[in-house]
Amino acid sequence: MSAEVKVASYLMQYTGGKEIIKVEGKSVRECLQDLIKQFPDMEKILFDDNNILRAFFNIFITGGDVAFAEKLDVPVKDGDILTLLYIIGGG
Amino acid sequence: MLTPEEKQRYERQIMIPGIGEAGQEKLKKARVIIAGSGGLGSPISLYLAAAGLGTLRIIDNDKVELSNLNRQILHWDKDVGKFKTDSADKKLRQLNRNVSVETINITINEDNVSELVAGFDIIVDAMDNLPTRFLLNKSAVEHKIPCIHGAVSGFEGRAMTVIPGKSACLRCLYHTIPPISKFPVLGATPGVIGCIQATEVIKYITGIGLLLTNRLLMYDGLNMKFTELQFARFKDCECCGNIILEDKT
Repeated sequence: MSAEVKVASYLMQYTGGKEIIKVEGKSVRECLQDLIKQFPDMEKILFDDNNILRAFFNIFITGGDVAFAEKLDVPVKDGDILTLLYIIGGG
Repeated sequence: MLTPEEKQRYERQIMIPGIGEAGQEKLKKARVIIAGSGGLGSPISLYLAAAGLGTLRIIDNDKVELSNLNRQILHWDKDVGKFKTDSADKKLRQLNRNVSVETINITINEDNVSELVAGFDIIVDAMDNLPTRFLLNKSAVEHKIPCIHGAVSGFEGRAMTVIPGKSACLRCLYHTIPPISKFPVLGATPGVIGCIQATEVIKYITGIGLLLTNRLLMYDGLNMKFTELQFARFKDCECCGNIILEDKT
């Protein structure tokens, strides 16, 4: 499946300045793996030392599904957009 | 009824189509919780006091620190070491004596949150940590009180409006709770987001405009961009999943 990952401005420093990156994968996990293959610096941003998606990230998929650490096997369809949303809580 | 002095004071916003004297009277009667008197709480409370919101309940248990002053514009050099609520109370009364300011020195927790928000028209989430934001969100949903969320980090900010029974809540958006960490912030960032939150409050109270429901407004000051993430209520949301939606907003 061919999908797109959309990253916020803060993360663009790790994706060569790109906001939208084309990825291949049947699940969110596979799409993130492909993203990391293209931009290895994203690995440490997204995953901890135990290869678990950091709690800062929630991933919104076209159609309304949401993926997070315990739910990375959400299927991805052709043309889906995965928005990488990291949580901020400061005030 | 508005007094002649109030009509003069609020003349410029009474002129706005949709507000008028009727809208200004709604603002005068409104009771607003402002949870937090820091970077976000400062502009929120200043603009809501200036706009003539009737009652502002400001909740914060911190004292002013020197490192707060780059962004918490309600607190000044002379206030370092004082309770933020005392500092806020003095400034807001000087700004607008018509506004009733209630300040409460307390840390919001699971045991007191219901009592603190009960009977109010709207909650403004101006906290500095996610666990308390989630607690406020939960209480807002339980009491069916709208809650205006705002958060900042560095040059970035986020805002969204939760109307319980009508729109997605904060837990529909964020499914995980990251660890609490000290966050960097440019002073102007909470200024931008706080003003958006104050605007949402005024729109909700007066019943005008399109609220920030089911969408997260994301501000990127570094690249000077606003973007939106549209999202829907999460059917299995631990907070609002069991609530029947009235209609879409």
